[in-house]
Amino acid sequence: MRYRRPGLDLLSHALLLLSIAMFLFPVWMALTAATHTRAELYTGIAPLWFGGEGIDNFIAVLRDPVGRLGVSVSQLLFNSLVMALGIAVGKIVIAILAAYAVVFFRFRGRMLCFWAIFVTLMLPVEVRIMPTYQVVSDLGLLNSYAGLILPLIASATATFLFRQFYLTVPPELLEAARVDGAGPWKFLCDILLPLSKTNVAALFVIMFLYGWNQYLWPLMITTDTAYTTAVVSLKQMATGGDNLVPWQTVMATALLALLPPVAVIVTMQRYFVKGLVDSEK
Amino acid sequence: MATLTLDALNKRYPNGNAALLGIDLSVEDGEMIVIVGPSGCGKSTLLRCLAGLETISEGELKIDGERVNEREPAERDIAMVFQNYALYPHMSVAENMAYALKNRGVPKPAREAKVRETARVLGLEALLDRRPRQLSGGQRQRVAMGRAIVREPKVFLFDEPLSNLDAALRVQMRLEIRRLQKRLGTTAIYVTHDQVEAMTLADRLVVMNAGRVEQIGTPMTLYQRPATRFVAGFIGSPAMNFLPLEQGAAGWRLPGGACLELEGFEGRPSSLGVRPEHLRESDAETALFDVRVELIEPLGADTLAYCRLDGTATPLVVRLDGARQLDEGERLRLDAGIDRLHLFDAEGRRLERRSLDHGRAPLLPLSASL
Ligand SMILES: Nc1ncnc2c1ncn2[C@@H]1O[C@H](COP(=O)(O)OP(=O)(O)OP(=O)(O)O)[C@@H](O)[C@H]1O
Ligand SMILES: [Mg+2]
Repeated sequence: MRYRRPGLDLLSHALLLLSIAMFLFPVWMALTAATHTRAELYTGIAPLWFGGEGIDNFIAVLRDPVGRLGVSVSQLLFNSLVMALGIAVGKIVIAILAAYAVVFFRFRGRMLCFWAIFVTLMLPVEVRIMPTYQVVSDLGLLNSYAGLILPLIASATATFLFRQFYLTVPPELLEAARVDGAGPWKFLCDILLPLSKTNVAALFVIMFLYGWNQYLWPLMITTDTAYTTAVVSLKQMATGGDNLVPWQTVMATALLALLPPVAVIVTMQRYFVKGLVDSEK
Repeated sequence: MATLTLDALNKRYPNGNAALLGIDLSVEDGEMIVIVGPSGCGKSTLLRCLAGLETISEGELKIDGERVNEREPAERDIAMVFQNYALYPHMSVAENMAYALKNRGVPKPAREAKVRETARVLGLEALLDRRPRQLSGGQRQRVAMGRAIVREPKVFLFDEPLSNLDAALRVQMRLEIRRLQKRLGTTAIYVTHDQVEAMTLADRLVVMNAGRVEQIGTPMTLYQRPATRFVAGFIGSPAMNFLPLEQGAAGWRLPGGACLELEGFEGRPSSLGVRPEHLRESDAETALFDVRVELIEPLGADTLAYCRLDGTATPLVVRLDGARQLDEGERLRLDAGIDRLHLFDAEGRRLERRSLDHGRAPLLPLSASL
């Protein structure tokens, strides 16, 4: 039920506007700063309106190598995208298969497998970073996409979520499918996956953001800037060393780095809101 | 189009629970077999063993004379209708029905033609594009039937397919299932809890009890000549009355004092069974039962009277004509035709009369009361 009172309406709108302003203010600052020259930004007053550069700074960072990094932001974004997509897709595929095995197949050590997966929840990459680094380095995967993706690709959380979902699927559905001549693969692809597309969409968003925002791991294993990700490079750009920090470049890069996650959320949100509204089960 | 042979089928679940104990059954081509029995007696287990959803522990299952114990459900060419329908929620009605055909590699045009034909038979044409959740219970049931029929399987398996429907729809679907099964001539095994479904659908009825078959026969055989006390009590509603028999000086004594002379029977009777609908009022001095009415249930056409034998606590249910005005506490004298009485020995086996040539039965009520 909802309260309908004019005064309350006004108050809630005011609160909403205030929070929007609070969240958008930094973005606004970044946007306006990115349209100034460096000289203008070092006059002391933060400009809260657009400067004369327009989108030139954006074009420049996308096209030309940035500062000490020696690679363009396009390259950085591409690296980030490969890593985030690799991690998100990998996690989902592996989680679907692992949960499928644990829920629908009877084999020796099934529960052991499940608990082993579950326990890895307690071992995020930050905890196991030294041994993981050793392994990746021994495999010769430093400075490679595989090295960026593989150590982060298994997800106990996602496996657990899919397991919980599979447990709610009525067993008769599996039996009906077996009678209808669907083998294990067909059952997975024709029945389970379509039923879990909402979960897949939600997890994809979460896992994409997780991958996109990785900092420590990419920082460790990429010495070659050709494999650096956008998030890592932002930090490097912002600590200027001897020179003055080129804030207009940093801000342009930051805004560009914001776009893919926003795009993913906006696209995927439609799917899982739809999924939540007309639940298939 | 198939025969089905079950030879000493046993099922033991992994937890050691023996759910089926030596089931023998042979089903003719085109026959409709209905399986009934109390909850937990193994009806669903049997059906699932036939479908291949559970492994058979011992014994042999043959379809058309071929052993199929080790075959996957799809390879057995059976179709199953589940109690909760188990339709694929994300597929349209048409896709649900076509799925099995698709898995068999039937080309799309043929598939669509078959689905349309089946939908026409079942009156589902208007619903083909809907999802299961956009259908009523009865429509879902129909789609589940359609999904089974469209494949033209050798055997239909039904596990309480109508138990989620309301009474009126159940009657309608019951008739429809019978009509379809007859028309298609497909062998069918049907599990139900419902007496009426069992009696009306079955070519032959199988009564199961605790993992065993108690009796197999036409519904009328099971009703008229139940082989065991269990079957006698299970078939028919309200259930048959059972009265203990004691041997006395003048014959076999019933509770309440009536005496019966029982001759020409194999074995030693221990209980007498009589159906509520076979008891009728009688003025005769020789009436079998003197009863006091305790409770009345008017059903319209009939009235059920729950009575006790006079002076005892032995209950007796009588079905009387609906027009008969009854009062609680009223006394009735009841009698039943001699051939309506069933005798069972201490193990619950039916006792048959040794010969029927002697004309009128050797079973005679001696005196109504002492
Ligand atoms: N997966 C299982 N593991 C162990 N025991 C089981 C399993 N499934 C059923 N049983 C047992 O096997 C027996 C027969 O069960 P089944 O489901 O065949 O009964 P049913 O006759 O279909 O009963 P209902 O009329 O209630 O559906 C029961 O005692 C039940 O507890
Ligand atoms: Mg059952």
